[in-house]
Amino acid sequence: MERPTGSRRRRGYGGIDAPSNVSTSARSSDSEDLPTEHSQRAGATIIPPSPWNLHNYAIVTVMTIIAFGLRFYKLNHPDQVAFDEVHFGKFASYYITGEYYFDVHPPFAKLLLGLAGWFVGYDGSFEFETIGDSYTAAHVPYVGLRALPAFLGSLTVPLVYMIMLESGYPTLVAAFSTVLILLGELDNGHIGQTRLILLDAQLIFFVTLSLYTYVKFRKVRYLEFTPVWWGWLCATGVALACSLGCKMVGLFTFFTIGTAVLVDLWEVLDVRKEGHTMDYFYKHFIARTVGLIILPAIVYLSFFWVHFALLPKSGTGDAFMSPAFQETLRNNELLMNSQEIRYYDTITIKHKETKVFLHSHPEQYPLRYDDGRVSSQGQQVTGYNHDDVNNHWIVVPTKALPETGRGRIVRHEDIIQLTHVATDTKLLTHDVASPLMPTNTEFTTVSHDEARGERYNDTLFQVQIDDADPGQAWKSKSGHFKLIHMPTRVALWTHPKPLPEWAFKQQEINGNKKVHEKSNIWYVNEVVAVEGGGEDVRNRTGQVATKEPSKMNFFKKFAELQFLMLQHNAGLTAHHPYASSPLNWPFLLSGISFWTDNEKEEQVYLIGNIVGWWTCVMALSIYTGVIAADLLARRRGTYPIPYTVRNRLWNNAGFFFIAWAFHYFPFYLMNRQLFLHHYLPAHVASALAAGAVYDFIFSELNNFPISYPGPKTRARRPTRSDIFKVPAAITLTILTVLMFAMFLFIAPLTYGTPTLTGEAVNRRRLLSSWTLHFAAKKTTMD
Amino acid sequence: MPSNPGEVALEIDSPTESPRASSEFEEVSYPTWSQPRAEEELPLHYMGEDKARRRVKGAQAAPESTVMFDADSPTEYDQGDDGGKDVYAKLRQHQTPVSRMRRTSAPPTSVSEFIQQNLEHLPPAIYTLLSCWTRFHDIGKSPYVVWDEAHFGKFGSHYLKREFYFDVHPPLGKMLVGLAGLLSGYNGNYEFKSGEQYPDDVPFVAMRVMLATFGVAMVPLGWYTAVELGMSRRACHLVALMVLCDVAWLAISRFILLDSMLLFFTFLTVYCLTKFNNQQHEPFSFDWWTWLSFTGLSIGMVCSVKWIGLFVTALVGVYTIEDLWEKFGDLKMPVRTYIRHWVARAGCLIGLPIIVYLISFKLHFLILNHSGPGDAQMSSLFQAHLVGNDFSRSPLEAAYGSRVTLKNMGWGGGLLHSHVQTYPVGSSQQQVTCYHYKDENNDWVFLPRWEEPEYNPNGELQFVKHGDVLRLSHFSTGRNMHSHAIPAPVTKTAYEVSGYGNQTIGDSHDYWMVEVVDDIRRGHRNNFETIHTLTTRLRFKHWKLGCYLRAANAVLPQWGFKQIEVSCEKEDNPRDEHTYWNIESHINDRLPPAEITHIRSPFFRDFWHLNVAMMTSNNALIPDPDKEDILASKPFDWPWLHLGLRMCGWGDNQTKYYLLGTPVIWWSGTASLGISLVVFVVYLLRMQRKYVDFAPGEWDHFLYVGKIALFGWCFHYLPFLIMGRVTYVHHYLPALYFSVLMVAHLIDHFFLSARSLSERTKWAVFAFCVISIVGTFWWFRGVAFGIDGPINDHKGLGWRKSWNIYSL
Repeated sequence: MERPTGSRRRRGYGGIDAPSNVSTSARSSDSEDLPTEHSQRAGATIIPPSPWNLHNYAIVTVMTIIAFGLRFYKLNHPDQVAFDEVHFGKFASYYITGEYYFDVHPPFAKLLLGLAGWFVGYDGSFEFETIGDSYTAAHVPYVGLRALPAFLGSLTVPLVYMIMLESGYPTLVAAFSTVLILLGELDNGHIGQTRLILLDAQLIFFVTLSLYTYVKFRKVRYLEFTPVWWGWLCATGVALACSLGCKMVGLFTFFTIGTAVLVDLWEVLDVRKEGHTMDYFYKHFIARTVGLIILPAIVYLSFFWVHFALLPKSGTGDAFMSPAFQETLRNNELLMNSQEIRYYDTITIKHKETKVFLHSHPEQYPLRYDDGRVSSQGQQVTGYNHDDVNNHWIVVPTKALPETGRGRIVRHEDIIQLTHVATDTKLLTHDVASPLMPTNTEFTTVSHDEARGERYNDTLFQVQIDDADPGQAWKSKSGHFKLIHMPTRVALWTHPKPLPEWAFKQQEINGNKKVHEKSNIWYVNEVVAVEGGGEDVRNRTGQVATKEPSKMNFFKKFAELQFLMLQHNAGLTAHHPYASSPLNWPFLLSGISFWTDNEKEEQVYLIGNIVGWWTCVMALSIYTGVIAADLLARRRGTYPIPYTVRNRLWNNAGFFFIAWAFHYFPFYLMNRQLFLHHYLPAHVASALAAGAVYDFIFSELNNFPISYPGPKTRARRPTRSDIFKVPAAITLTILTVLMFAMFLFIAPLTYGTPTLTGEAVNRRRLLSSWTLHFAAKKTTMD
Repeated sequence: MPSNPGEVALEIDSPTESPRASSEFEEVSYPTWSQPRAEEELPLHYMGEDKARRRVKGAQAAPESTVMFDADSPTEYDQGDDGGKDVYAKLRQHQTPVSRMRRTSAPPTSVSEFIQQNLEHLPPAIYTLLSCWTRFHDIGKSPYVVWDEAHFGKFGSHYLKREFYFDVHPPLGKMLVGLAGLLSGYNGNYEFKSGEQYPDDVPFVAMRVMLATFGVAMVPLGWYTAVELGMSRRACHLVALMVLCDVAWLAISRFILLDSMLLFFTFLTVYCLTKFNNQQHEPFSFDWWTWLSFTGLSIGMVCSVKWIGLFVTALVGVYTIEDLWEKFGDLKMPVRTYIRHWVARAGCLIGLPIIVYLISFKLHFLILNHSGPGDAQMSSLFQAHLVGNDFSRSPLEAAYGSRVTLKNMGWGGGLLHSHVQTYPVGSSQQQVTCYHYKDENNDWVFLPRWEEPEYNPNGELQFVKHGDVLRLSHFSTGRNMHSHAIPAPVTKTAYEVSGYGNQTIGDSHDYWMVEVVDDIRRGHRNNFETIHTLTTRLRFKHWKLGCYLRAANAVLPQWGFKQIEVSCEKEDNPRDEHTYWNIESHINDRLPPAEITHIRSPFFRDFWHLNVAMMTSNNALIPDPDKEDILASKPFDWPWLHLGLRMCGWGDNQTKYYLLGTPVIWWSGTASLGISLVVFVVYLLRMQRKYVDFAPGEWDHFLYVGKIALFGWCFHYLPFLIMGRVTYVHHYLPALYFSVLMVAHLIDHFFLSARSLSERTKWAVFAFCVISIVGTFWWFRGVAFGIDGPINDHKGLGWRKSWNIYSL
C-alpha cells in the first residue's frame, strides 16, 4: 500500500514545505534530459556521440562470428528427430503439403520453418513420428531446417550487444552481457535450444528485437512525430507482433513494453512538465495505440491469414475444429460425407468426446445395485465403441409428415423418438437414478405399446443442434447436437467410467441435468439406411458427389482457432518426466533430455552454462538489494546514489528487470506443464540486467546524454563512463574464461557428441538433480 | 452506480490556459506561499457531514487548494517529490483526533441527560434489537439436523463426552459449540446424523440461539466500524442495514455452524483495526494500547475458529507495514520511538494471536482426555495418555511373529497400511499407504527371511534387534511389503512400495533391515538390545535397494482414497523424521502385557503434530473429478451470486433453507469494487493534471477507507482462485463484508457527503438505497427463515436461471 505519488506530489507542490534541502542531485524526476522551453541554447545542443566506433564494430563482428560458429558446428548431428522436432518439424512439413494441422502456438515461427524447408527443397513427406527417427535414411534436408533457428539464434547475440550499447553502456558492459548470452546462450541452454527445429530461437530473437527497437524509440523521444520516431515506434510494434506470432509468451513482451509506455505516457500527462495540453497528450496516446496495438494486431492477424491460405486441405487438425470450419477444408470427411437426415432413416449416433456409439442390447439392468439402490430393470442402454447392429436407431417423427420432399428432413429443435432397430424398442429416460450416478437419470427402452401409451411422454426427445439457426437441417457428421429429454430437460450424456460386468464394461449412458456442458454433444456418425432401404443415401438430395469447400469469414476462423489454442494450451497438464517448476529455472536445477542414442551412448541434454546463469541470478539479487536500499535510504532523507546513475539504474536497468520479471513470474500462475526452455527469454533479459548491474558496480559515471536532442532540449554537460578500469576488465576476463571452460566441459551434452564414458557423464552431473543418461552405475549396496 | 457528473466526470483537460474563475468544486489560484492557517487543519474525521469531505470552497482555501502549473518557477518540480522530506509530520496534522478526546463530560444527573449523552448509540441499539429478531425469529422451525450441523454439532458433542476427535478446523469455534451445548444442558450423546430429526433431549434451539448471538453482534459491529471509518451518519445506516438484511449472513448464523463465529471475529478484527487507526495520533496512550492488543486478540480468535482468519490477518499485516513505512519516513521521530512501534506491533499483532491460538489448543487437549475417533492422527505417546487407551497393556518387546501397527513419527504421520486395491500406475501391485484411522488393515507381522527357517509359533521366542533383516507381512492380505526400482506414484524421485507375493511367494525385494535410531526412554541405541513398543524409534531400510521407508504427507489421488503415499527414499537422510517409525499397538499372545506408564509427549509437539495433520487433511479436500458435488461452487460463481446452495432436503413437507445472498447487496458490492478502481484511476489522472478535488487529508482518508475495503476483499477472495481445495458459497461471506463497506464508502463519497448535492437529493438517494435493501430482504426472507410447503408455490424467487431454488 505505497502511498500513491499523486497525493504526495500535490502536497509537496502546494508549497506547504519549502524545498530547501533537496539538492539537484537528488531530483527524482525520471527524465534524464529535462527539456525546458526556457533554454537559451536550444538548437545549439550537443549531439550525443554515436556509441559506435571501430572497436565496437570489431567486437560485435567477432562475437557474431563465434555465435555462428558455435551454433552451426555439427549442426547435422544428431541426424535424428530430437525432442519437440517431432511436432514442429511435422508442422513445417504441413505448410509444404498444405494439410491443415492444429497447434497451441501461433503460426509465425512455424511459417518461417516452413519457408526454410521450402527454400531448401524439402517436399514435406517426412512424418517426424518419434524421437530418434533417422533423417538421413529419409533424405530430409534437415540441416536446412535447423539452419533457420541457428541463424536467428546467432543473430540474437549481436542484438544483445547493440541493446547494451544503445542503452548508453560502455563497450565493456555490452561485452559483459553479450558474453553471458554468447557463452550463456551460446552456452548450452541457448545453443541447445537454437540448434534444433524448434520455435524458441525465433521467439527469443524477436523478443530481443522488441527490446532493441523500443530502446531505440526511447532514444529519439525528443524528436517526436518525426519519421525516425515513427519508424522505431512501428518497428517495435512489428517486432512485438512477431514475438507473439511465435508463441503466446510474446504476450509478456507486450506487457513489458506496455509498462514502459504507460510510465512514458504518465510523464507526458504531467502538467508540471512544459504544461503540455491535452491535445498533445492525445496525440501521443493515439500514436502509441496505433504503433503498439493496432499495427501489431494487423501483423498478427496476417500471420493467421497466411496460415489459413497455406493450409487449404484436410489434415490432422480437422478434428479440433468446428464442423463449419471443417467444411472449408478440401477433401474433409465432413464435407464429403455429411448428409441431411430424414425421418425414418436408420442412423448411428456417436458421442463427440469419448467416441462411443449409443448402444442397446436385450440384457436388463440388475434390480439392485451394490450400493442398495434399485433400478427400473429396463433394457440396458450403454455406450459401446465398436460398430455393431445394436448401434442402429431409427428416427421417428412426432408430427405429421408430407409424403415426400424436404418436409421429411429432421430440423433443429424437432421433437423425435428413437427406435432401437435390433430389439424394436423405443429409447426413453425417466426419473430413476442411473447405475453409477445417483444424480443423473437412467436411460432404457420400452416396447412400442408402452411407448404409445403411458410412457409416451418419456420417449420424447428434442434435437438441439449446436450453434444452429432455427429450422436448420440435421446433418450427419457435421450436425453436432444435444438430445434433450422433453419432460425432465436432461441431456443424453456419457462418461468414460465403465459399468460393471453385467453391462460388459460398456460405458454408462445417463441423463445429465447440467444441460449446458460441452460433453453433452453427440453427432450422427452415419446414415446406415434410408426409409425402405431403396435409394442411395448419397444421391438422395440430388447433389453432386464432389463438393467444393464452403467459405468462412476469416475473422470467425481466426477467433475459433485462437480460442482453441488458448484452451488446449491450458489443458497441457499431463505429467512429463522433464517438466520442471519455474523455481528450478534460474538456478538450473534441472534440464531436459532432448535426444539419446542408446547404441553410441550419446545424448543431447538441454542445460545452461551454470556460471553464466548463476551470475545472472546474482546480478538480479544485487539489483533488488540496491533498489531496496535506495528506497529505504531516501525514506530516511539520504540520497546515496548520484542522480544520473540512479536514473539509469531505475529506468534502464529497471526496464530490463521488468522484462525479466514479466517473462518469468507469470509462469508461476500457469497450471500447464513447464520446461526449462520457457525461461530462455527471461534469461536474455536477466543477462541485460546483469550488464547494468556490472556497470553500476564498477562505474561512477554514465555515458550521458544518449538520447537524441529535440528542438526544446536543454543542453547539459555530457559525461563519459569511467568503467575502463582494471578490476572491471579482470572481472570480465575471469567470467569469460570460466564460462568458456564450463562451456567446453558441458559441450558434449549440447552437441550430442563425442560419446562420454559413464564416469565422464557422472562428472558432468554438476548438480545432483540433473538426470543424465548413461551414467556409470554406482557399485551396488551390500 | 449513478454518479454526479460534476464531480467525477473525467475532465482531463489542459488547465494551462488560465486559472479557472469559479468552478463549483475547484478554485484555483496562484500560490501565496502563506502557511496554512489553523482552521484549515481541523480534524476531518468524525465531523458532521456538513464539514467533513467538503470540497474546498472559496478563496481562503487557496494555499491548500494549490497552484496551477507555473512556468516561471521551475524549482517547483522538486516539490512534487517529497521523498526525503518529513511526510509524516504533514500527515499527522491531518490525522487529528478522530474519535474525539476521551469524553470528559460530567456524569448524567437525570435520565434525559443520560439519553442526550448517549443519543449516538440509539440507532445501533435499535439495529441490534432488529438483528435479534431476524436472527432468532422462528429459529427452531426445522427440528432436523440442517447441513453442516451434522459435523459441528457432533464435534461439540465430543467436547461434552471429552473424546478425542480430529477435524481440519482449529478448535475454538467447536469448543464454543460445545460450551453452548453445555449451557443448554445437552448431554453430548446425540449423533447428529445429517437430515435426522432432533430427539427431545437435544436442546438444539438453545444451542442455535447461543450461536446466533454471534450473528446478532455483527450488526452493531458493522455500525461502529462505519462510524470509526469516518462515514457520514447515513452511510453508517447503510452499512448496518446491509449487514442486517443480507439473507446469506442471516441464514448461516441461524444454525449450529462455525460461520457465525468466523464472521463475528472477522468483523471484530476490522472494528478493532479501525478503532486503533483512530488512536494513531496519540501513540502509546492507554487507548492506543487497548485497541492494538484487542486487534491482536481478535486476530487470535478468528484464526482459532477457521484458518480463513489468516486473510483478515493479512489485511491487518498490510495496514501495519504501510503504517510502519510511513513512520520510517518520519525523520523527526526518534529511532527509539520507532523501534518501540515495531516492538509494540510485533508483540500485540504476532505474539498475542499466537498465544490465543496456543491456548485454544491447550484447552482442546485438556478437555479431550478420552480416547475417541481421532486418536490415530496423533503420535503414539499422545494416545497412550488418553483415558480408555490400552497401549500400555500391549507387550513391551517386539519379537518375530508379533502383530504390530507401525506409526510414522513425522509431523502428521499415520499408520502403515495396505489394502487389496492395487496401484493403477507403476507396478500395479497392492497399495501400501499411510492411514489415519484404526483398522485391521494396519496390522503387520514380523517374519524371518525366506532363506531362514519359517517362523514357528511354538519355537523359541526370538526378539527383533537392531540390524535384523526381516519381512513385513500384511496381516489381513498376507502380502509382503515390497519395493522395487519403479518410481512412486506421487514422489517420482523415490521408489514405489507395494504389497507383493504371499506366505510362500516372494523374493529378496521383500527384505527390510531394521535400524534403531534411539529410544525415547532409554536413550542411545547402544544402551539396549530389544525394541520397545511406542518408545523405540526405528527406520526400515530396503535391503536390496538401500532406500528408506518414508511417508511424508504426500496425498494419493482418489484411487488411493486420499491416503498418504508411502515410498522408499533413495537418499539416506538420518535426521528425516518422516522415515522414523514406532510400534504403536502390539499383539503377541506369547508375551505378557507390560503395565507401564509412558512419558507424556510435550504440548508443543502435540500442537505442531495436530496442525500438520490438519494441513494435510485440508490439502486432501480437493474436488474429486469423478464425483459430482452439486453443493460445491467455483469462486467465480460468487461475486455475481451465480449459485445458491440447498442447505437441506427439498421435499414438499420439509422446511427448506437456501443459502443465497440478498441480490442487491451482493451485486452492488461487486460493482462497487470495480467502480472503486475506476474512480481511483480517474482521480489519479486528474491529480496528474493538477486538478484539486480534495481538501487536505481528504484524499488520504478516502484512500484509507477504500484500501481497507478493497484489500480486505481481495485477501478474502483471490486466494480461493488458486486454492486447490473444494469451495462453497459460504466461503465468500467474509469477503462480502468488505464489498459492503465499499458500497457504503462510494455512496457516501458521491452522494451522502457530496458538497454539491442538496439535502433533498441526499435523502432521496438514501431512501432509495434503504428501500431497495429492505425490500429485497423482505422478498427473500423465506430462504433464511425457512420455506414450508412445495417450493414451486413460492413464486418470484428465481431471479437467476442458475439458482436451483425450484425443483424441476
